Amino acid sequence: MRNIVLAAAAAITCVTAAAAQLSPRRAAATIESRQANYKQMAAAMKGINDQLRGGNASVTEIRRGSAVIARFAPQVLRWFPRGSGAEAGVRTRAKPEIWSDGAAFTRAGATLVVAARNLETAARSGEVPAIRAAMAGVARACSGCHDGFRAPER
Amino acid sequence: MSRVRVWDLPVRAFHWLIVVIVPAQYWTARQEMMDFHILLGQVALGLILFRIIWGLIGSSTARFAGFVRGPGAILAHLRGRREAAIGHSPIGALSVVALLVLLLVQVGLGLFATDEDGLYSGPLSHLVSFETAETLAERHEQVFYVLLGLIGLHVAAILYYLVVKRDNLVAPMITGDRAGNGVEAMAAAPAWRFLVAAATAAGLTWAIVTLL
Repeated sequence: MRNIVLAAAAAITCVTAAAAQLSPRRAAATIESRQANYKQMAAAMKGINDQLRGGNASVTEIRRGSAVIARFAPQVLRWFPRGSGAEAGVRTRAKPEIWSDGAAFTRAGATLVVAARNLETAARSGEVPAIRAAMAGVARACSGCHDGFRAPER
Repeated sequence: MSRVRVWDLPVRAFHWLIVVIVPAQYWTARQEMMDFHILLGQVALGLILFRIIWGLIGSSTARFAGFVRGPGAILAHLRGRREAAIGHSPIGALSVVALLVLLLVQVGLGLFATDEDGLYSGPLSHLVSFETAETLAERHEQVFYVLLGLIGLHVAAILYYLVVKRDNLVAPMITGDRAGNGVEAMAAAPAWRFLVAAATAAGLTWAIVTLL
């Protein structure tokens, strides 16, 4: 049920964002900032994975990372207003399917929100096996969306 | 023609395992089979460490001291002086050392690398920041093409020997033997040395990927 609500909320966000037309400068800025945000998420993922490696994981470090993921995850769908794809003339690997198959993209975004929330809950509990399982969920959400909506490098 | 032993089994096994692993690593990276890629990279690390140790304590043709030659010998070889000895030629020695160094660099970069999403990391990646690990991943990709170039050169040299000099270098790397009259055969290393080299390489690899 929560998933459906999330997906609906995300869909509304997406449609609202799509209604606004993007100037080329806005499009470039949008792409730049979303790439910077993804970098921060990737760094947070590595930070958590670094802790999960070996025996002595720092729960403080893991919480720091999971907070970054949890903060960004609900924003992701808003980072893709129509016009911020390859047509913006800036290097981006965002595929046109993001806009042509908006429903699937929205579902992928909602999956990430749920996974990020699970990670935050696990991080709060401090239970390493739970964190590990939740991280697998976030990684699946990342890859699941990248597989369909991010073009390969070069 | 009598046949003489040129390459021992560890040298041949190492060679052909690398022949399999290099394209396999390209493939697993391309297919984003990163768990397998990272695991196979650790196997490669162990093999390379073994080959380096074997280059110090292995049989005569495996040893660096036996085949790494100075500029004088390399020039003489280029001027066409015929070598009576078996094993790597002075030029071939350069190629062996360059390939081994490059393989070690490549595996070393992989140890610290991470993918752009921070999802898959080499076993030593936790020692560096995300930015550094990502840069090292880019170098890891670039070094592969340098490695490819060297492999191309290596294969071209073997083809040159086969076609121009009518000397098949591939068969001895498979069977270990080549035709030879009046040449001194390889001095084999006893089995215990192999065990020492293999155990040291395995131990070092384990220590690098788990303890650091």
